[in-house]
Amino acid sequence: MNDLCVDIGYKSINHEGEQLCGDHVDVVEQGENSVVVVLADGLGSGVKASILSTLTSRIISTMMAEGLTVEDCVETIAATLPICSERGVAYSTFTILHIVENREVELIQYDNPLVIMIRDDVNFDYPKTEINVGGKKIFKSVIKLKENDLFVAMSDGCPHAGIGKEYNFGWKRENIADFMETISPAGYTAKTYSTILVDECNRLYGGKPGDDATACVVKVRKRMPMNILFGPPSNRDDANRMMALFFSKEGKHIVCGGTTASIAARYLGKSVKAGITYDGGDVPPVAQIDGVDLVTEGVITMSKVLEYAKDSIAENKLYEKWSYGHDGACMICRLLFEEATDINFFVGRAVNPAHQNPDLPINFNIKMNIVGELSECLKQMGKKIKVSYF
Amino acid sequence: MVMVQICVGSSCHLKGSPEVVRLFERYVSENGLDDEVILSGSFCSGKCNRSGVTVTVNDKVHTGVTPANFKDFWNTEIIAALRAEKGD
Repeated sequence: MNDLCVDIGYKSINHEGEQLCGDHVDVVEQGENSVVVVLADGLGSGVKASILSTLTSRIISTMMAEGLTVEDCVETIAATLPICSERGVAYSTFTILHIVENREVELIQYDNPLVIMIRDDVNFDYPKTEINVGGKKIFKSVIKLKENDLFVAMSDGCPHAGIGKEYNFGWKRENIADFMETISPAGYTAKTYSTILVDECNRLYGGKPGDDATACVVKVRKRMPMNILFGPPSNRDDANRMMALFFSKEGKHIVCGGTTASIAARYLGKSVKAGITYDGGDVPPVAQIDGVDLVTEGVITMSKVLEYAKDSIAENKLYEKWSYGHDGACMICRLLFEEATDINFFVGRAVNPAHQNPDLPINFNIKMNIVGELSECLKQMGKKIKVSYF
Repeated sequence: MVMVQICVGSSCHLKGSPEVVRLFERYVSENGLDDEVILSGSFCSGKCNRSGVTVTVNDKVHTGVTPANFKDFWNTEIIAALRAEKGD
């Protein structure tokens, strides 16, 4: 076991006027450290393409994760996919990224644009073997993973972007590789890379995509544990035990909540210095305690974090807000969404008498719901979450 | 020097501490008191109530400060604290 892990993110845009996307990405975990990612592009666009690609990606990801071979998967797909009444074929292209034990990646590619691999911030031309499965020409590669490797899988809607508009022959694969080389050193998340790439395609299409376009990015990174303390323990006598467990954990430490901050400060023998700087928004100021990476107010800040988290796994529209903002919520978002891979929540169940006021939009139940919903969102971002209650 | 700590905890935040902080900053700079009144934040002082923000002036805790009664609070508490200091 090494200390690498993968961050997976993808984004699609639909063919102009279509409500469904003909591309589909499926991610299936295989044990702790292996995962199968499949990007499928169904023939045509709209409902038919959507069904074809969903079936294809689902079948392949499930079968691969169960340990079956590519040959078995392709056979099953050929026998299962419904045949298009207009064109008389059942067809969906696919790209498989099979990450094995966070050590190596097995690339299996059929008719999609070839995966772009960026290593050490330059385009890396990896070796490929051609195999023939049931008359289909499939490229196979096995590559050892290295920190900061970036794999970009695309549907053909990406290189077709701008055909006849911005470019005569579209946005060629090597130009996309150049584009990815330029943004690779920025250290964004996989979701952000895929968003930037697809947004650029959309721009080249003039906002009217002529095809479904999808980018799926897999980024190899080091594990980064993050610990977050939220609320005082229900039993006062547990405070020291809770603090001892929290501060003994590897990685960064975030403390949320006023009372919680004073308990943490007392444990460390330091003082809490609260600021009065409001960053334009409605989030209370952050404070400082020596030895703690970030100290914020509790429920209001965390509600905001949850709002950003929900958006981040859906439309990712508020990205610019939390990624540049200076208030407590934005800072927590950057630490949790971008930096962290493993997050430990230390949640105290004490009821704050000041919050049990019917006039206030904060109370104990809201606090517990925030923790539940937020960890659900973070799981969907591919983070490993552990919640302990005190 | 007069130390003024304004609570920015959850409860006081919802009772208007952002506005109270802005008023303090304005009064301090308008009266040229940057060297005499030190503003800072504080987390919950355990005096949460329903009427307003908790403000600690030189270790004396005052509750219920709101934008509406801010002027009175300034004139009584802060000016008094400044006078007391000059008198020493």
